[in-house]
Amino acid sequence: MAELMPPDTRRCTYFFLYDGSKVRGEGDPTRQGICYFYPEETPLDKQELMCGQLAGVSRCVSELSSSPVHTLRLRRCKFAIHMMEDFFWALGCSTEVPTVSVCELLDHLINIFCFYNGPIRQSYQLNSKETLAAQWARYLSHVQSGPSEIYNIFRCLRTVDSTTVDPLLLLKAALILQACQRCPLVLTGCILFRGRVVSTQMSPQLTMKVMVQESETYTKSQRSNGASTSCSLGAPVSSTAVFLTTSELQYLQSTPVNKNVSPFSPPLLDAPPKKTRLSRTLSDTPSTESEPPRLQTPQKLSFSPHMSESDDSFSPAPSQSSADSPNTSPQPTRSPLPNGGHAVETEHKLSHHHGFKSNGGSSVFEENQCLNGDDVNGDAARRAVFDLQGDDSGNEQSRDAQMVVGDSGVCFRKAESKHPPPPFTCALDSLEESPLIPKMLYMHRVNGLVLALLVEHGFMSDAASMEEVYHSSLASLNGLEAHLRSIAAATPGTSGQYTFAHYDCIQSTLTTNVSGRSGGAPEHPFVRATSLLHSHFCDTETLQEAIIRNAGVAVYGTRSVAQVTYFQQHSGSLRNSGIPNQQDSAFSLPSKARHRLLKHGVNLL
Amino acid sequence: MKCLLIASESAEVLFHWTDLEYQRNIQEQYGASQEEGEELPAFEDILSTLFAPIIISYSTMEDSYTSFTTDNNHIYVLHQFDECLYIAVNGDGEEKEDDLRRKMYVMKKMIEVMFGMVTLSGTLLRKELRPQDTEQRIRLWKHLQNLIETYSHLRENDQSFLVEAVERLIHPMLCEQCIEFLERRLVQQLNSSVERAGEEVLHAFILVHTKLLAFYSSRNASILTTSDLLALIIMAQNMYPSNVDLDDQSPEVTKSFYTPEPSPSSRDSGSSGDLHALEISPPDPSTPRRVFLDISLKDGLYPMMPHSMYCLPLWPGITLVLLTKIPTSAVALSVYKYLEDFDKLEKRLREGQGSSAAARSPLNMQDVRCKLDKFVKALGPSELQSAQLQIVWTEFKNRAFAKNGPGFNKDLIPWCKKMKTQLCGIYRQCFLIDSTDFPQRLSPGLQEGAQAMMQEKLMDWKDFLLVKSKRNITMVSYPRNFPGLVHFICVDRSSGQMIAPSLSITERTTSELGKGPVARFIKSKVWGLVRTTRRYLQKGYSTVTLRDGDFYFCYFLWFENESGYKLDSVDIPVLPDDSPPIGTLACDYYKLLRYYSKNHKGETVKCYELLTVHLGVIPTEIILQHCRQLASKLWEPSRNPLL
Repeated sequence: MAELMPPDTRRCTYFFLYDGSKVRGEGDPTRQGICYFYPEETPLDKQELMCGQLAGVSRCVSELSSSPVHTLRLRRCKFAIHMMEDFFWALGCSTEVPTVSVCELLDHLINIFCFYNGPIRQSYQLNSKETLAAQWARYLSHVQSGPSEIYNIFRCLRTVDSTTVDPLLLLKAALILQACQRCPLVLTGCILFRGRVVSTQMSPQLTMKVMVQESETYTKSQRSNGASTSCSLGAPVSSTAVFLTTSELQYLQSTPVNKNVSPFSPPLLDAPPKKTRLSRTLSDTPSTESEPPRLQTPQKLSFSPHMSESDDSFSPAPSQSSADSPNTSPQPTRSPLPNGGHAVETEHKLSHHHGFKSNGGSSVFEENQCLNGDDVNGDAARRAVFDLQGDDSGNEQSRDAQMVVGDSGVCFRKAESKHPPPPFTCALDSLEESPLIPKMLYMHRVNGLVLALLVEHGFMSDAASMEEVYHSSLASLNGLEAHLRSIAAATPGTSGQYTFAHYDCIQSTLTTNVSGRSGGAPEHPFVRATSLLHSHFCDTETLQEAIIRNAGVAVYGTRSVAQVTYFQQHSGSLRNSGIPNQQDSAFSLPSKARHRLLKHGVNLL
Repeated sequence: MKCLLIASESAEVLFHWTDLEYQRNIQEQYGASQEEGEELPAFEDILSTLFAPIIISYSTMEDSYTSFTTDNNHIYVLHQFDECLYIAVNGDGEEKEDDLRRKMYVMKKMIEVMFGMVTLSGTLLRKELRPQDTEQRIRLWKHLQNLIETYSHLRENDQSFLVEAVERLIHPMLCEQCIEFLERRLVQQLNSSVERAGEEVLHAFILVHTKLLAFYSSRNASILTTSDLLALIIMAQNMYPSNVDLDDQSPEVTKSFYTPEPSPSSRDSGSSGDLHALEISPPDPSTPRRVFLDISLKDGLYPMMPHSMYCLPLWPGITLVLLTKIPTSAVALSVYKYLEDFDKLEKRLREGQGSSAAARSPLNMQDVRCKLDKFVKALGPSELQSAQLQIVWTEFKNRAFAKNGPGFNKDLIPWCKKMKTQLCGIYRQCFLIDSTDFPQRLSPGLQEGAQAMMQEKLMDWKDFLLVKSKRNITMVSYPRNFPGLVHFICVDRSSGQMIAPSLSITERTTSELGKGPVARFIKSKVWGLVRTTRRYLQKGYSTVTLRDGDFYFCYFLWFENESGYKLDSVDIPVLPDDSPPIGTLACDYYKLLRYYSKNHKGETVKCYELLTVHLGVIPTEIILQHCRQLASKLWEPSRNPLL
């Protein structure tokens, strides 16, 4: 009766895609419908049994309930199911992983596939089953690459460690991205370093998808020393076709171009001083002015019409920006610091602090934003255009910084809260309803560092633009890479005193000292408790905090709209009778968590 | 949108219960695939057709299905008990997966109480649950459907069925008087009467709605388990539904699932609910119900032993229940022992061929052989069933004991099964088939006498008791002593009893929590809390505190030894998601827990649970202090500030 389940570190035990349309006739063997099956070494008989039975029983249940099956559980395994037309996906995980996480993971996998291959049916018409099976295998191994069990619970964006990286480097990265965006064919971008995000302008969901390609080219470049050439610019640059959902595209269009959702992206308050500072810090600074200003407004307009069916506010941009321009006139007074050493430091700290605050603040807005979302869109779009103009004079950002940081939270949050089971769901819907929009993913690799840009198709054929983006960013990327490389990869080892996990739902980032080393055995109780609490938080909207305790372990969980934190204190004597007792150490967990986690940048106050 | 289906492996419907909405939904589903103008087949056939793919796939899978959910939040839970596959469905969001699983287990428990060891034989149980005779089948299914509805109603509205512990009416003086009356007067008189037809009253108790006023067990009776007591309360409620919630939700109304019109006699469990309004005379109220209950004797635990249950209504809402031992119950004991023996033998044969276990078994079997020979002889070959047993037993002996026979090897396994089926058949013949011409029972006159005696005794208390049962604990003092405390439930798991302030949410009565939406909201919170804490308990966590909305919830489980000393908490087993529900009605989870917490053999361990609901604004230290006070004082009436 007492069945202690062994910790299964493998995230997924089964994953398969079955195409029912291939098995119509009586004589059709089930294997014809199996598009991909993981683990691949599973005997074909068993594959057929699983696919046939699960797909069959799910169809029966769907008909009974007039709704597709969402989850299916066996005694030893739980499956997230996705049914679309004749396609049937099943992702099976250990029963300890929260159901909500398994479902998210399956949606994520399907989304990745669609991002790189376009609509499912179409890609299976165009490509062989084997080619696409290799893709599924690749995506599956990518999503399972989390270093410890705790990554089975939270689908998160891994970022460079903010505590070890000089914030100026992050600023630098953000600036590189902005510089690239001067080319109007560039939609948005991110900078990644060895599988971690340095800076991104995209939503976490989109960034996660882009990172699949990054890790792919990284392993390739490791193998063949960077010979993945696909364009005139030579070795380190590659490109691949990708597909955005309409909602993703709308989001891109509605966002300020210098919007930055990276958790560490410094706000732009100190834009002017950065030049002097950066020129001292980094080996080479691209002059932002070096880009011809002629590109800005006209080109922005030139591409906006064809992607603005959904967002009319783009077209009247010139008039809007001129309407806005009076506001900009007082701005230069805000940024008079030419090259203040000390002043820069303080200013920077201030701004950083400010950024933190306003990020947190965005969560507070959340609900209001949903109410007048469209308005925000329009505003954001206007600001986008305005910013490009402002950039010319080089000193407008300061005014925008506050708004932008706030706004980015706003826009993003909107995307999340409008479609409750976050954007990927609408992405899946759009698979069925509206087509995916093809774009290109441009990647420029400098050793471990990658500049990834989502670009219009025209970009790849526009040699001038490409060269410009390439050359304008090359030196900065080199410099950034050199600095990031020199930072020792410090793993946040378990401090021994406590274990914690802090998940930022808006930025999809996880801060934790669960290392997963030595099999994760000592951390397993924490992960197990976290898994349960996570399910509970997901089920119960009103739940704010919880303490659960058994004979050996007490774990505290708390959440706000934007974040959720789990904490366990390791102490010798938890033993007691279990009768209510104020002296019980379990009840001091909230205050301990508040104190201990401050130094990890987690504020629970 | 609710459904409970029991099917055999070949997708034959053994029992079904659906509410009207689900029935309509199923008929629509089926109608869509039908041609215009065609008449719908019988509902059970539709169910069988539609669920067949699931049932067949279930038996095909190695690791079987436990649940499905759909995008529109329909939940399907599946569980196989021996050869019966149970499928419970909810499509209205009122029940969660664990509720459905619990419902299935409770259904199984009720079937065990009704059919006893016949449930151990798949073949016999199939026949029993699905009688060939349509009229009989309709009657049985209607009865089972009523039981599910009564149970569901209690689980949704009665705190004692929420936590699955018995609630006593708190009135020590009257309680003591009643017990004395039951012992000295009632039971003594009944057991010394010549009209008792060989029966012996073992237990007698008085129910006021679902609450226990007094309980008396005769000296030579085994302890009645909480699980059985709760099941009996459900049966009593099913026979005489209390109208305590009538203005809220009438059990009568909820009972119109199978028939389009509630039959006027649907109170009587055995009455006809047939669509064709068959004229079936309601059973004689003085005919007892056969119930099968667990008893523990010196040499061990004997499950599903036959008893007769007499439900004597004193007044609406107040019932006297008598449980008697029937004269032939010794046969059940023997049958159980033999069943166990053959079960053991089968296991040994399966496990170790030629191993030491197999070598040992002939020794045991010689003993069994002797006893069983005598047993068969005593039964006599007169009845068809015992003649069959004799044939199979002879064949078994030829194979197992003959000098040149095959002996004890795997080939004997099917014969073990056959023996078990035959034994169950004997049991069925002895305890389930009434000899209609001469029913075994306490004489009607004796029953009436007992009823009258009890009525006379309680006449002056009647109205008080009915009110008291709705407001068992008056919480007038707690705003002062426990500021911020909204509600609590305290359960003594060793005695299977609970204490909680009443949570009446009917429009007419006002409880301490007010009435209408507020009380209903708090009630939903309490019900949700119990579900949540069970989930954590299942995964091994025995202390839970939650800040949820405007409330702060606490849950504690702890162990004490007999002298009240608090034992160190132990590692509670982590159970899989599809394990039996945490509770006592269907399976006693706490018995298992008490076993785990034992330090040494023979130690008596008590297990307590406390749930509290506080206002969220109260500081945690104060809340914990309240919990501490409640935990230490609640079980000592003299010190209990609330009683």
